[in-house]
Amino acid sequence: MAAMTAPENTPVWVNTARCKACDICVDACPAGVLSMQQEPTSTLGAMISVIAPDSCIGCNECELTCPDFAIYVATKKEFKFAKLTSSSKSRQEAIENNGYRLPEDYKEAN
Amino acid sequence: MSATREIISSGNELAAIASVDAGCMFFGGYPLTPSSEVMHVISDLLPKIGGAAIQMEDEIAGVAAAIGAGMSGVRTLTATSGPGISLKAENLGLAQMCEVPLVVINVMRGGPSTGLPTRVSQGDVAQAKNPSHGDYKSITVCAGNLAECYTETVRAFNLADRFMQPVFVLLDETIGHMHAKAEIPTVEAVKAGIVPRKTFDGPADEYLPYGVEQDQPAVLNPMFTGYRYHYTGLHHDASGFPTEEIETCRKLIDRLFQKVEKYQDEIESNEEYMVDDADILIIGYGSASLAIKEAINILRKEGIKVGMFRPITLWPSPETRMHELGQKFDKVLSVELNQGQYLEEIQRSMGRLDINKLTKTNGRPFSPSDIIQKVKEL
Amino acid sequence: MAFNYDNYLRVEKMPTLWCWGCGDGVILKAFIRAVEKIGWEKDDVCIVSGIGCSGRFSSYVDFNTVHTTHGRTIAFATGIKLANPDKHVVCVAGDGDGLAIGGNHTIHGCRRNIDMTMILINNFIYGLTNSQTSPTTPQGMWTVSQKAGNIDPTFDACELAIAAGASFVGRETVNSPKRMEKLMLQAMEHRGFSFLDIQSNCHINLGRKNKMQSAMQNLNWIDDITVSKKKYDAMSPEEQLNLFPTGILKQDKEVREYCDMYEDIKKVHQGERKKITQDDFAKKI
Repeated sequence: MAAMTAPENTPVWVNTARCKACDICVDACPAGVLSMQQEPTSTLGAMISVIAPDSCIGCNECELTCPDFAIYVATKKEFKFAKLTSSSKSRQEAIENNGYRLPEDYKEAN
Repeated sequence: MSATREIISSGNELAAIASVDAGCMFFGGYPLTPSSEVMHVISDLLPKIGGAAIQMEDEIAGVAAAIGAGMSGVRTLTATSGPGISLKAENLGLAQMCEVPLVVINVMRGGPSTGLPTRVSQGDVAQAKNPSHGDYKSITVCAGNLAECYTETVRAFNLADRFMQPVFVLLDETIGHMHAKAEIPTVEAVKAGIVPRKTFDGPADEYLPYGVEQDQPAVLNPMFTGYRYHYTGLHHDASGFPTEEIETCRKLIDRLFQKVEKYQDEIESNEEYMVDDADILIIGYGSASLAIKEAINILRKEGIKVGMFRPITLWPSPETRMHELGQKFDKVLSVELNQGQYLEEIQRSMGRLDINKLTKTNGRPFSPSDIIQKVKEL
Repeated sequence: MAFNYDNYLRVEKMPTLWCWGCGDGVILKAFIRAVEKIGWEKDDVCIVSGIGCSGRFSSYVDFNTVHTTHGRTIAFATGIKLANPDKHVVCVAGDGDGLAIGGNHTIHGCRRNIDMTMILINNFIYGLTNSQTSPTTPQGMWTVSQKAGNIDPTFDACELAIAAGASFVGRETVNSPKRMEKLMLQAMEHRGFSFLDIQSNCHINLGRKNKMQSAMQNLNWIDDITVSKKKYDAMSPEEQLNLFPTGILKQDKEVREYCDMYEDIKKVHQGERKKITQDDFAKKI
């Protein structure tokens, strides 16, 4: 099995050398874990960022849909993933409605 | 024990037999008059020894399958006539660019276009030099008699592996369909002379198939043997991966030329028939040379001293030797079954525009009397 | 599971040259996962690709790889396979490469039923050369070669493959990476010619002037035009008109594979069996 060990205590991590800021993983995430951020030197002037790792439910959708081998998800043995909460879903909705970026003034719901 | 044997066969059949004797294990092609017999014969010979022959859906697929097999590491053949070379042109360029050994038999017929399918010409000589777009160096040999249909095909396989590129073997309808006795090397002699392509046997992570000296061909290990690399028709770097880098691209094309030009002595092959004391020089090749020789013999009996220079390797041309001969002979006559395709090369090599020509494009072979008459007019 | 794709990639050549969000990368990932599952040794695998964005597929994977001329992918692959029948050959080509210039070779690869998998990456446009019409570009869409609107009709690649004799035919899209992986695995396990129509997004070329310039919009469109075979078969012709069925569309394990039949030819010439006649075949026409 061609397996890659996750960094310690990390549900999802990115390889910024490969990310082209296509937004697909951000769109695929159900839990508001990911957001694009401004990065002037990068493709499309943006770069992926893991903004809420604790909300990650380990669904693997980001890894499966990333065309550039730029994002990886740990196994259930390596990380205790969260359940999907309504606050995660709200955050995800806000991210999607703001061009795949977390609004600067976003306040977490409870 | 003799190193030769006698065989009664036709040119096409001898080319097929020669291929198998020279280690060919794959044929990909398509029927095209007057070359089809090569395919018919080799379709029976190859499976017998564990090789494979396939008639593909068109000429292009035929050469593509042959090149694919060559890329995988086996000695490979395709056979066709003029219209087929036209169709295959793009993939021939790929084989040049990727440096894949391949033997291409062209049994020339009347052209252009559909032309005269069952009749002879030498009309694909210029095409053999540049069938495809872009810059590359052609290696083309031309059988001038029945035995050479065998020996030149064997030589072509060794040249293809030596220089890692396609090699053309030009036959024509006359010589392809000529059925007579020929003296050819034994199978043992041919096997003893096989020089397969160079391979790299170091660690796989140090292998660079196109990372060779500027006067060397690529070193392409057979597929599936632990050396994984990339073939592409794009300009590529030492690992085979596409690149547009300025120096890499320049050096690649230079190398495709230098690898051949620097070793002209390994490729050039000529016959000089009664040249030493001749007053008139005829230059001819292929089946036309048979009529030329006969004409020379008859003219000599009449006291007219004619000689023949016959390039067997047409491309790269024997330009140095032709230049020398151009200094020596006042009267030079080019005889070919086309409108003067090699004539231009003779003119270029000799630096002269006053070369006489005897051309014929109506699908009929030269008779010795055609040539005798022309010589007397000079 | 963090799958280590780098095991199968020529990592020094990353990142890929494909546009941001291009489905080619998702297909490449699914393919790598399928190869891992089927357990093929890297040395035993040959990837043959054609010209187009999908043609660059072969340059990124660490197998024996060949990037051929436009449309001739399957012809080259046939030579490689027939000369090495116990090795694994996979073809990757786009809708232009496989269906336009390469249509004839696709037909005959299917007809021969030679053991290889053809992954047709169908993004409904000529992507690499910037938006010319392909045989699958919907009528009425904008293309650079028909700026007044495309009038060229399309055909269903899977129906072509089935009619031409492929013994395994399937379709998936980049919206379903796991189903795509499973279909590829089944195709590769199948002994015979496996034809896969993998629908993909080219938002940069197809999408740009056809109201889907973001990857998500293009992917949503692909979602809209595909439905599972099961649902499709239950629909009326009117409902089916603008939908492609996905999943395995044909699987015939009985029909003989070409290299296997060629072994019989070898046996005939080696004197180990009598000549092949019509009696050896159920289909006599």
